[in-house]
Amino acid sequence: MAKNLNGELSIVSANRLVDGVVVFLDDAGQWTTTLERAALARDGRAAEILLDRARAEAASVIDPFLVAVVENDEGRLEPLSLRERIRASGLTFDAIAAEAVRYA
Amino acid sequence: MPDTHFYRYDSYDRTLLAERIAQFRDQVRRRLAGELTEEQFKPLRLTNGLYLQLHAYMLRIAIPYGTLSARQLRKLAEIARRYDRGYGHFTTRQNLQLNWIKLEDAPDALAALAEVDMHAMQTSGNVVRNVTADHFAGVAPDEIEDPRIWCEIVRQWSTLHPEFSFLPRKFKIAVTGSPNDRAAVRVHDIGLRLWRNPAGETGFEVIVGGGLGRTPMIGKTLREFLPRDELLAYLEATLRVYNRYGRRDNLYKARIKILVHEIGADKMREEVEAEYQAIKDGALKLSAETIAAIARQFAPPVLPSQPATVAAAEALKLEDRDFALWLKSNVAPHRVPGYAVVTVSLKPAGSPPGDASAAQMEGVAEIAESYSQCEIRVSHEQNLVLPHVAVADLPAVWRALSRLGFAEANVGKITDIIACPGLDYCALANARSIPVAQRISTHFAELAHQHDIGDLKIKISGCINACGHHHVGHIGILGVDKNGVELYQISLGGDVDFGRTALGAILGPAVTADRVVESVDALVATYLDHRAAGERFVDTYRRVGAEPFKERVYGAV
Repeated sequence: MAKNLNGELSIVSANRLVDGVVVFLDDAGQWTTTLERAALARDGRAAEILLDRARAEAASVIDPFLVAVVENDEGRLEPLSLRERIRASGLTFDAIAAEAVRYA
Repeated sequence: MPDTHFYRYDSYDRTLLAERIAQFRDQVRRRLAGELTEEQFKPLRLTNGLYLQLHAYMLRIAIPYGTLSARQLRKLAEIARRYDRGYGHFTTRQNLQLNWIKLEDAPDALAALAEVDMHAMQTSGNVVRNVTADHFAGVAPDEIEDPRIWCEIVRQWSTLHPEFSFLPRKFKIAVTGSPNDRAAVRVHDIGLRLWRNPAGETGFEVIVGGGLGRTPMIGKTLREFLPRDELLAYLEATLRVYNRYGRRDNLYKARIKILVHEIGADKMREEVEAEYQAIKDGALKLSAETIAAIARQFAPPVLPSQPATVAAAEALKLEDRDFALWLKSNVAPHRVPGYAVVTVSLKPAGSPPGDASAAQMEGVAEIAESYSQCEIRVSHEQNLVLPHVAVADLPAVWRALSRLGFAEANVGKITDIIACPGLDYCALANARSIPVAQRISTHFAELAHQHDIGDLKIKISGCINACGHHHVGHIGILGVDKNGVELYQISLGGDVDFGRTALGAILGPAVTADRVVESVDALVATYLDHRAAGERFVDTYRRVGAEPFKERVYGAV
């Protein structure tokens, strides 16, 4: 069952099996770490087809699911929920570096 | 300096770990080859401490009873650097979480851990989790007996216990050997408090059914006094009753606290006692030899005689205000005169609480080797502890910690914040915790002001699961998601230290993220306006009630 499907536009995301990294399904049926390259479904039917396709390509990822997105003013995709925005763009603070002894 | 005063694995422990790692290595291989589905693999990785979070896998490493040797801390740094992004997060359960482990590297990381007698087993799943203890165990002047001896006995009993591998829900045990509880024993599934009865015998008060999370409860005493040698039989009886009657039909009602609440403490006691009577003289009765053998592994290090006061330290105290404040908040008395217990603050202003880089871990390990008998503790308040520092060495230790950024004189103060990883990392969270902690910490960074405010514990959780212990914060902050917006619910009056366990009460409507700092500021200002001499924040709150605080937060802000 699709998760977070609140909007009209949606993409498919998952975590990569080998390292857990967040990935998105692109138009070629490949998994990409770049949100901008994600295949976009513009209605519910297209979303179902996209998710089916993702599941067929799921050997290298974990549990694909739909993510509701919007297109911002510059035409870039942006997840609707904060959780998915954080998944897509990473931590919202700077983690300390391995050799650092001071938090920057 | 030899690190001989630690529990050392025997051949049984090492064989168990080696076999377990080999098994997991094969499971990972099969998963990567597509021979196992995620549904099949997930319970296998979880039982080895490997979670999948928002951005990556996370490895939760058990640090039994929060005790580490310098060698072990160095190895954790090495693993963080080699297999992760070079830093780790010390948790409220005295564990270490590495947030960026690759699945293919996980078996190698576990093998590296095993080199220093460590593992990640039972840091997930419905089993008895890592047993926690007072972080001042073995060194606190008020201690009756070192609780780690009993933690280790419980660890050996509960590790891969076949009967308790599929409990209704996870199970957390904490042990304190001191009347001044520093292990939060009343908010654990089972809390054990060692005490001495009027006959001079040492035994356990057994507290059952405490916990935080969705339904916070303070545990009930099932046994006022349990003879020490009967501990495992009583634990087995309690777990057996829970395993039999605990709810498996509803995840949110599956913890033992719900069972105790639903059937009542008297009925629970009756059931446990009946089971206990049937098994108490069996194989689980601990012999004096067994107890003594474990106790020998925790024999305190031989500490050379040291002066109780040192002129150089006294002079520096007068010359340097930061050192004086650090002595006041971060240094506690040791049971041996001439020694002190140093808390290493992992909460420098503006930093993520509990995080340490590999370089910082190695730095603390080096300080422990030079000045603390090679020993480090992890506290449930997400700090580290150097348990055996000579008073004469305090200036050197302070300078060394300052170079690491870990000499913030804020232990127990408003910036010594507990925070869970929150929505930045956690798949369960609804809201962020770390950025909120950072903003509060930055706002109140001025140390003299923190010391003027006095003891004030802020605890932040990013969801109702309460990993940040918000229910027992003097100020508790709970992140919630309302229609996609992060809101923060504030509660006041919680407490957990020194047997004063209390759950906080919600102050009023949740506030938006940008109002959290000003709300905390308003709470502090109210306290400063109303406090009587010697009162902590929470004491003033209890005396004057919620109204003035509520009025300042919701009326004037």
